[in-house]
Amino acid sequence: MDGCTFAVPHGRISGFIGPNGSGKTTTFNLLTGIALPDAGEVLYRGENIAGLRPYQIFRKGITRTFQITRIFREMTVLENMLSVTGLGVPDRVARERADELIAFVNLTHLRAEYGGRLSFGQQKLLEFARALMTDPDLILLDEPAAGVNRTLLQHLLDHIHRLQEQGKTIVIVEHDMNVIMNHCERIFVMDYGVKIAEGPPAEIQRDERVIEAYFGRRRAASART
Amino acid sequence: MTRYQHLRNLIVLGVAVLVLAFVPHPLSVYLRSFLLFTMMYVVLALSWNIISGFTGYTSFGHVAFYGIGAYACAILVADYGWHWLPTLGVGAVLAAAVAVVIGYPVLRLKGPYFAIAMLGAAEGTRVVATVWDSLTHGGLGISLPSAETSMETYYAMLVLMVVTIVVAYAVGHSRLGIRLNAIREDEVAAEALGINATLYKLTAFTLSAMFPAVAGGIQAYKVLYIDPPAVFFVQITIAMALMSMLGGKGTVIGPIVGAVVLYSAQELTWVNFPTAHLIAYGLFIVLVARFMPRGLMGFAIDRGWARKGMVH
Repeated sequence: MDGCTFAVPHGRISGFIGPNGSGKTTTFNLLTGIALPDAGEVLYRGENIAGLRPYQIFRKGITRTFQITRIFREMTVLENMLSVTGLGVPDRVARERADELIAFVNLTHLRAEYGGRLSFGQQKLLEFARALMTDPDLILLDEPAAGVNRTLLQHLLDHIHRLQEQGKTIVIVEHDMNVIMNHCERIFVMDYGVKIAEGPPAEIQRDERVIEAYFGRRRAASART
Repeated sequence: MTRYQHLRNLIVLGVAVLVLAFVPHPLSVYLRSFLLFTMMYVVLALSWNIISGFTGYTSFGHVAFYGIGAYACAILVADYGWHWLPTLGVGAVLAAAVAVVIGYPVLRLKGPYFAIAMLGAAEGTRVVATVWDSLTHGGLGISLPSAETSMETYYAMLVLMVVTIVVAYAVGHSRLGIRLNAIREDEVAAEALGINATLYKLTAFTLSAMFPAVAGGIQAYKVLYIDPPAVFFVQITIAMALMSMLGGKGTVIGPIVGAVVLYSAQELTWVNFPTAHLIAYGLFIVLVARFMPRGLMGFAIDRGWARKGMVH
């Protein structure tokens, strides 16, 4: 990330796109405390959260999924879900919430199965459900569509929209342009760690800098071969 | 687990305690000692499992806490005339304090670095016990006043084993245990999901230090003599680790089963193959590691004889 400044609109679905290595996941890592910025601020509801540890940022209502799923492989689906709730939450409440979300992503029949034995798509769904356990306000989804079949993807997108209607703020990193262009209200485009464009889908699709970032490299690569 | 399953497990534990409480009286001194050592290794394996099994931080230095407990008992009884029972509490508190002090820096290390740092910590504790002779009597060791200790120490170890089992069971079947497991699985993801990994690791480490300290105190009173090589013997840490791993690291029953099976195997090979018992014992360990890499409990779970997961 290089001198990047952006503001995610509250209560909306925003998208981050860019070629591989452009800094999208790094952005998520900076927002969630997994990476520390050398300079600059991360303002959340007016508070600078840069430098806080990931668990502190999570407790402020920010959650995320990972580009490569990071479910707990030697723990069951139910245990993955229960790992998120604080010890102060009554067990019955935690279990009800876990079962509700497990049912939402159609994993009830695998409730007692180890996370590592799920298919890739099922692991993605588990990670998504796990991220919602504590009813967060800001949800960062890193490539949620990767490896998920179209039916389940639509199911996931329906729930994302329901979350947005409840007032949640959602940010999606995706390479699937159908997801980004049809579901995001604002799009941020990254290239080499720099924000090169920002705007609604229609504007982004016509932006010369975006086209150059995606297709300019392909033309250069083709010329070399 | 349902309440029925918890009750069933409690009944099993109760029956085992009753049997162990009454069985030693007609037994020979050797067999009584065998039972005491078996219970001690159950305590040690379960304790090691809390930090190394549940939390994933493999410790090669847990004998340090055993030794601290042994010395706490020996010093207070021999030099200050204390009754031995309260010295066990002192040993546990001292071990917990040491665990907090060394745990905070070393738990920042991961994997083999943590293991080696703990090995160093254990050696450092042994060296302190050796050179601080004004307190520990150094290499001369400490002799405790002669007393008939056989049944007292047996029942003390039985109580300690029950308490350790109950605590390990409570941790393992709770959301605390799930959070410790999450740290073991992926500490970065665990932190991103709201788990204060530092606090949880330190808690597990401190808890895992207290029971070996009490076991060390009981042993000191039983044998009536300790010195640094005896109580800071690295073989004790190796035994803790092996028993937990062979029984099933990260489970509750695994370390119990591992301790009983492995210690029994050790004694049986010693009795039957006195000149080659170490070879036979080693062969047994290799076979289990080769054919049951996740331990006896992992083997049982894979075959559907036991349920997956700690919470259902």
